Amino acid sequence: MRKSFTAVLGYFAGGLTLLVAILVPFVLMGFFSNAVARAGLHVDEGYSGGVAARTIARDGYRIVVNQPVKPHLLQRMEPFVQVAWEPASALPAQISEDVDLDGDGRPDVHLTFAVPADAKEPLQVNVASLNDNYQSFAGVENESYSRLVMRTDRGIMVRVPLSRKFSTR
Amino acid sequence: MSSHPSTLERPPAFRRIGKSILLTLPILLWSLLMFSRAFFQPRLDLRLASVVVMLFMTALFFLMMRTGTTYRWRRYFFVALGLLFPVGFIADLIAVRGTMSIPIERMVSGDTPFCYMVIPMLVIPAALTRSIIFPGSILPTASNPHSIAIMIGLWLALTLVLGKAWCSYACFFGGIEEGFAAVAKKPKIRRIDPRFRLVPWAILLAIVLLSAALFEPVYCMWLCPFKAVTEYPAVRSVQTAIQMVIFVVLFIGLVIVLPLLTKKRTQCAFFCPFGAFQSLFNKINIFEIRIDREKCIDCAACRNACPTMAISKESVQAGNTLLGCMKCGACVDVCKNHAAVWHVKGTAVGPSSERSRLLFLYGAWAMATMFGGSVLANSVSHLLHFAM
Repeated sequence: MRKSFTAVLGYFAGGLTLLVAILVPFVLMGFFSNAVARAGLHVDEGYSGGVAARTIARDGYRIVVNQPVKPHLLQRMEPFVQVAWEPASALPAQISEDVDLDGDGRPDVHLTFAVPADAKEPLQVNVASLNDNYQSFAGVENESYSRLVMRTDRGIMVRVPLSRKFSTR
Repeated sequence: MSSHPSTLERPPAFRRIGKSILLTLPILLWSLLMFSRAFFQPRLDLRLASVVVMLFMTALFFLMMRTGTTYRWRRYFFVALGLLFPVGFIADLIAVRGTMSIPIERMVSGDTPFCYMVIPMLVIPAALTRSIIFPGSILPTASNPHSIAIMIGLWLALTLVLGKAWCSYACFFGGIEEGFAAVAKKPKIRRIDPRFRLVPWAILLAIVLLSAALFEPVYCMWLCPFKAVTEYPAVRSVQTAIQMVIFVVLFIGLVIVLPLLTKKRTQCAFFCPFGAFQSLFNKINIFEIRIDREKCIDCAACRNACPTMAISKESVQAGNTLLGCMKCGACVDVCKNHAAVWHVKGTAVGPSSERSRLLFLYGAWAMATMFGGSVLANSVSHLLHFAM
């Protein structure tokens, strides 16, 4: 009696699995994908650059400064701040300006770079720190997630590494 | 009792053609449904490829029904998937970005296609911080249709149906080594220490913990052999050069040389942490392979045939396979005494083997046609495009 009951249950589960298989492309795949998309997950800030903290308006273009990204636990990357100049079409041929990264009203770094008309030309960015909270660098020899200069679809993006002293605050 | 086997009894040799066609009909209709959208594509190569793949998948299922065997026909599909997947994937990469390598700028932009191998490494960081430690995008974008949400959704749905059978009906990497394992007639290396079966579990534990600590997908960055034939970080530093060397060495060793020498899927059996992770889902899957102790004569044919060493002497005595069984059917097909059987949990072992096999195969082949079939069609369309 018990054996036949478990056999019925077993075949019922087998039939259910078949039903699930039929539902995969029409219902289940979308259901699970939407569930993952709505789960409140986000790509780690080390890759994405974090969320925008504020926008500085300039003549015809804007600078988007993100919140500082600090490493988790034993994460190997240095802490950094991502800054983006956009839109690409409105940027002048040469940019040389002070930028306030922490929003305290005082400039933190001076950035200089040319904006080549040809999008394939390499970017040469000089970052001079105006205080000891940020690291200066000229060009990027060993690029990393925290020390990066690149073009995006929207404009030009620079990741400025924070000094260790600042990042531990 | 009829002299001909019924549809649900295990056919001793061949099932009649009429019955085989009848049993294949649902898969033919499913294939038509799955490829119907491709038939109306403007590209001739894609339409042709879809027809070819649809016929291929249906013909293989027909042969499974006609002969009563599974492993050999599934292997044709699986090896084709393994060998052709890189063709389509690389062609797509080159069309989009002109190279197989992915520079850091692309990663930062979320353009890395998501791979299911990452899934075990995501769990702890996502649970603790809601962060996905992979440089992709949650939702699909124009430059990255293989988004994290879509690929995890697909994996969850397929895993519900297949469990660990993912590794023999859906994984587009396993087919490469299964192809190399099929080349030699006899293995050059016969004795393999069974303790090697524990290595994937050790790697799984190590990468899950390291990934949680370092907040990066450690396996993808340092150990994945399939980076050599799919996508790899652009070699711009000593670190990326070392990574590339590791990928190539592991690929040559585990996916080409060792399968040639052992006739086993060595990467799957002795290395792949995702395979170990997927084994856990065998616990909740209703289908399994059992050994009928009354019929078993301890000839060891099943143990020798198993491509991942998922049958041991002890497991045979207990009437089971090990947790790593991927339901490829090799042991069932090789067992002359019909002691290795397909089984639905809760039912009696033995008499309903063919019913269990059919129930499993319809689901598994439907998933193989939907997922692997679309991958195959994409790759075949690229080949046709080059040829035409």
